[in-house]
Order: sequence, then structure tokens, then C-alpha cells
Amino acid sequence: MPVRLKPGHDARRGDWSRRSVLGALCATGMMAIPGAVAAATATAPLRFGLTPVFLDSDTELLAALEGYLSGRLARPVVLVKRRTYQEITTLLVTGQLDAAWICGFPYVQFRTQLSLVAVPVYRGQPLYQSYVIVHDGDPASDLDGLRGQVHAFSDPDSNSGFLVTRYLLATRKETPASFFRRSFFTYGHRNVVRAVASGLAQSGSVDGYVWDVMAEMEPDLVARTRVLHRSERLGFPPVACQAARLGTPLVRDLREALVGMPEDATGREMLRLLRLDGFAVGEPSLFDGIAAMYDYVKMQS
Amino acid sequence: MTWLARPGAWPLTVKVPLLVAGLMAAVGAAISYTVFARLTDEQEAQLRQLAAAHLGTLAVAIEPHLARQDVWETFDVLDHARKAATVASTRLLVVTLPDASVVAASDPKAFPVGTPLPPDLRARLGSPDDLAIDASHDIAWSHRPIGTEAAPLGHILAEMDMRPLIAVRREVLATLIAVNAGVTLLLAAVGYALVRRLLRPIGILDDYVERVRTGAVEPIPARFIAEEGGEFGRLFRRFNTMALAVAEREALAVRLADEEKLALLGRLASGMAHEVNNPLGGMLTAVDTLKHHGGDAAVRQRSAALLERGLRSIGNVVRAALVAYKEPPGAAAMVPEDLDDLRFLIAHEAQRRHIGLVWQNRLESAMAVDGAAVRQMALNLLLNACRASPPAASVTMTADASEHGLRVTIRDEGSGIPPEMADLLRGKGSALLPQGGRGLGLWTVARLLDRVGGDVEVAVGATGGTAVTLSIPFLERRRSHAAA
Repeated sequence: MPVRLKPGHDARRGDWSRRSVLGALCATGMMAIPGAVAAATATAPLRFGLTPVFLDSDTELLAALEGYLSGRLARPVVLVKRRTYQEITTLLVTGQLDAAWICGFPYVQFRTQLSLVAVPVYRGQPLYQSYVIVHDGDPASDLDGLRGQVHAFSDPDSNSGFLVTRYLLATRKETPASFFRRSFFTYGHRNVVRAVASGLAQSGSVDGYVWDVMAEMEPDLVARTRVLHRSERLGFPPVACQAARLGTPLVRDLREALVGMPEDATGREMLRLLRLDGFAVGEPSLFDGIAAMYDYVKMQS
Repeated sequence: MTWLARPGAWPLTVKVPLLVAGLMAAVGAAISYTVFARLTDEQEAQLRQLAAAHLGTLAVAIEPHLARQDVWETFDVLDHARKAATVASTRLLVVTLPDASVVAASDPKAFPVGTPLPPDLRARLGSPDDLAIDASHDIAWSHRPIGTEAAPLGHILAEMDMRPLIAVRREVLATLIAVNAGVTLLLAAVGYALVRRLLRPIGILDDYVERVRTGAVEPIPARFIAEEGGEFGRLFRRFNTMALAVAEREALAVRLADEEKLALLGRLASGMAHEVNNPLGGMLTAVDTLKHHGGDAAVRQRSAALLERGLRSIGNVVRAALVAYKEPPGAAAMVPEDLDDLRFLIAHEAQRRHIGLVWQNRLESAMAVDGAAVRQMALNLLLNACRASPPAASVTMTADASEHGLRVTIRDEGSGIPPEMADLLRGKGSALLPQGGRGLGLWTVARLLDRVGGDVEVAVGATGGTAVTLSIPFLERRRSHAAA
């Protein structure tokens, strides 16, 4: 098991210093930048990290996102995907990504090093829920009915796909190992739905937003599952960047592109595909609920 | 249709096609069995190869996940593999740890994560044969270890649906049966047509031989001979040669019969002359007496009576001859007197041999039989009986009517008819014409008897003497029998 990066971990990267310096220069109003450097910066691609907080397997969606962002930012956009949240978080924290759409849980874990670029607005609020789902024919009526079953989590760094259920068990003085006969990670919310629908796991922890969207797009698959438990509303997985880059033109442009999506035809198509209302400049306090659960779990363990 | 129960009596046109069909069916069955067995072996070998390749690929893909006991990734590989698997119709895939506990299966409900594999499947893991076929359920199992022998990671098992392969086998079998049946029927039909064509000359020959049997000897027409070369042409020509000889013999027989009739007529004429001459002396004497003593009423009366008896006697003989030889053959009736007349025709022969005639004509009315034929037969037999009997013996003629026809029995007291002559009589004319003229009379009787559809019984007593009984059916009865 690879060692998870702790908040404040200092990863080294080749162009990190240069970008930091450029960012700092811009922030302090030192505009006397040599022309060649400015041109290089203007055409450098935006490296945007993605996690399975949404349906990242939808290639049409990814192409639309890349097209929209590159159009708005007038620069190439490189979408970076990794299998786990941890990999993307590591790349983001170490400055190898300009920004990333991460989960609220990693944001809380690295809150001191990361800043919010924008938070998606879903059904009018920058909030979502975590679902505990079971197979459609499962007779369980509450979480206690899942004892001794096989459970599918999404990702160990996922709020909805792990932390919420972990917290619920902690309130019962239980851990996944003690409560479930067996649990495993699928590294994707859609995979959790597949695992439960196929019977590989009897229950699973899944992002409520993903489950809702999948219910529209893949009704046959989702119909084989049932929501057993809905969590309270929590901060929607945000788009974050290194704290140091928050004021850079690139990040500022990115925020404007995200927040301005509803005003743009391509952006509206993006939002339609994402089933989102838009993006907002969110406050860190949105994620206090996640932070509280994280603290509770840490305290219990 | 009793010939149906005796295959030996079946015509060649049936036997040959049946034989061809039987042989083809046997050959077809042998070929079908060989093809089917070969197909089954090939399918199993192909299935074994495909399963090995399929599981080999999957084992490589799964190995890193199995090493981490990553349930989801293992399942994901199996799920995609099963959905994409057209190869060998893989129905189920199961990955287990070395202790046979399930890591993941493409059907997780049937094989839940972490549960032990059912014992029957666990037993397959230890089988050295990597393919096991369960014919009763139309499935096959294949397995492959994952990892190295020193560090085993587990097993992958595949359940394969054999039904598509079995469906192919059935299709092939059905095709083989259909093709073989079609070819067999076709060859049987061709065989039937060919044999029928080959046997057509036999049919022609059979037809003409049958005509010979019924008395119409005809040669096979030249157009049939022209159509047939080789053996059948030669056979036809030989038949025609034989038919010509038979026709000549038949003509000779008719001529001989006519001569016999003339000879008989000659003998009868001689007898008649004697019968006429006998009263003539007395009648001439009576005429002289009348000339010289005609004035005496008593003498005149006696002479006139003598003349009348003589003339009546002559009249009887003449009438008998007229009836016997003027009446056309095939007359549809016979009166009792027709038989009685025969007495006058053989009287001379009987007197000459001092034979006593016992005449028992019990007929009372006319009968519907061919009178001319009956009289000719009876006359021949009576003359033969007189000739066969010793002097002072008796020849008996008995005629009576039965329900079915007329029965005439001629009995003599001779030494007994020789067996070959009795056979000649019983042959109804089908016997060969006797050589040297001996037995010609009996042969004529036999032919006439055949013509009127009658039967004959020949009985020879222990101490000699022969009784020949002719049974002549009524004409109507014959016709109704012929019609039946």
C-alpha cells in the first residue's frame, strides 16, 4: 500500500519554481516580463486533473470539456486522469497540475495547500449527498441490515464513496473490517453501481450525484440497485488548485470559464451533459461537514 | 398379394433398387458415423485449444489483480471477458485463490466473493485434464492455474456452453442424413428405371411365351428385335425359331387330327356299308318274295315288315352319320338321342369283335353342352374300348346328368390302359403330339376336352379293365367361370 501524502508534503517538480515565480510576479504587479517568457506562458497548456467524482468514462463529455476550456482559455488543455484520487491529489499538491476536479475529502485533507477555484452547483446548491445502495432485491431496511455483507467502496480518498460510510460505522463503534464480511474498492462510482447491480457486492457507497445521473443515462443498470441511506448534504466535489496559484491569470481565467459556463452555448451544452446548474466561487466552509466527519473518524481510530 | 411376404418372389425391378438403396443406406450410415465422430473429436480439440488460449490470455490479465486480491479489477476483467466472449461460448468464469475460495466470478450471485468453491468444481482444479465435458448438461469445464508452480496465485475456471457445438453437430448430422437419403432415393429411382429398361425385353419375351401357352404361337415382331442387340436380340431370334417350329408342329397336329378324323370316317363308312348291306340281302329277298308271292296277303305283309325294318335300320345308320358329321361344332345343346345314335356307329365294330354293348343313357332332356364334341369324344373312347376288349367281353357306356354338367363313363374289360396313354388323356392337349400315330385318338379327346373345359378321370381296375369318365360342364357355367 503506497504511503498517502500528508498535508504539506513537498514534492519536487521541474518547473514548479518558475511557475511560482511567475505567479508571484503577476500577483505583485511586476509586469515587466520579457516578451519571450510571456509568449511561452500564454501558450503553455492547462493541465487539468480529473477524478471519478463525475462520469469520467464518458468520452463525449471529456471531449466537450476539453473543447470548452481550450476555447475559453485560448490555450491547449490537457486532461489528466489517474486511477485513484490519491494520484490526482498528489499531482495537484505537488504542482504538476494547474487545477483538478477533486473530491471534498482530499480538499479537506490538504486544505492548507489547496484553494477552491469553483464549486459545481447541483440542483441549485453547491451541495450533494452520499448514498449507500443495495441490490434491488436486498431486504435490508437500514445500515445495520448490511452487517456481514460484502461492501463496495469507491475510493479510500472519496468522501461519498468511503468517508461517509466510514463515519456512519464509526458512530456505531465499527470499522468496515469489523462490520462487513468483506469490502473492496472499485476506484469509480460507476463501478460501485456495477458491483452492486451484478451482485459482486451486496451494498456499496456511492456519490449521490453520480447515481442520480446514471439513473438517467443507464436506467437498466441503476434499476438493479436501491438507495438504502442518503447522507446529509455536503460540499460538492470542487475544482481546486494549489493555494499559491489561486491568483494567477491562468487560474483566474479558469475560474471565469467555469463560472461563466451558463453564458456560453458550449458551456451550456457542457452543463447539460454534466446535469449541473453551473459553477460558483465556493467558500471553504462548504466543506466543514466533511471535515467534521474526517475529524470524528480520525479520533475514533 | 402373397408374393409380398416372399422377398424371393419380388420382381427384379423392385429387388435391384431395394438392394441399391440398402447398400447406399449402409454406406451412408458408415460415412455419417465417421464424419460425426471426426467432427466431435475436432470440436473437442478446437474447444480445448480455444479454451486454453482464452484462459491463457485471461490469466495474464488477471495475474496482477489476483496478486493483490483485487476483487473489483478481477471481476471487471471477467465481466468484460464474458460479455465479449464468443469464443467457445464461455458462460461462466471463476477466479479462485489456491485454497479454492472465490475471488470473483462473472456470476457473483452463484459464486459469492470469499466463499469456497463447490466441491464438484473444486475437484476439477486438481484434474490433470484441462477440459472436462459434462455431456448430461451440455457444458464443459476448463481450468488453468495462475502464477508459478512455486508461488501459485490461484485458478481460473471457465464453464463453456456446448449447446452451439452440439447444435452444429445436429445440423451436420441432419444434413448427412438428408443428403444420404436423397442420394439413396435418387439411386434407387435410377436403379428402378435402369432395371426396368434392362428387363423390358424379358417382359416382351414373357408376353409372347404366354401367347404360346394359350395356343397363339406368334413370332416376336422384327421391330423389337431391331431394338435389342446382344443377348436379348439373340434370345428373340431363337424364340422366333422355336415359335416357328411350334407353329409347324401345331399345323401338323391339326392335319393329323383331320387325317384321324378321315380314318375314323372311313372306318365308320365301312361299318355303315356293312350295316346297310346286312338288311339289303333280306330286303332283296323280300322284294323277290313280293314279286312272286305278292298276291298272298300274309306273305306281302311279312315282306313289307321286313322291308320296313331293313329300311329303318338303314335310316338309323344314315341319321346317326348325318347328326355326327353335319352338325357344326360348338352347338349349344345335346339331346339324349345324340348319344344313343353312337350305338349305331359302333355296332359294326362291336359285332365284328363280338363285344356286348351295355348302354345306360340316363339323360332325360336336352343339355347345354357342346354335343358334337361330346359325341366325338365318346365315339373315340367307345371305339378304343371295343378294340381294347377281348372277344365276348362287354363295353359299358353310362351317361348321367349332374348338377354341374354331364358325366359320361366308358368302361371296358381290357388289360388296362397303358400309363403313358392315360397321361396323354389327362394332359388336355398340352402333352406333346404322340409319335407314330399311336394314341392320336386319345390326344384328340384330350384337346376336345380342353376346349369344352371338362375333366377326365381314368381308373384302371386291379384285374384289368379301364373306366374313363368325362365330366363336361354346362356351357353357361363355363362362361360364368371364365368371366370370374
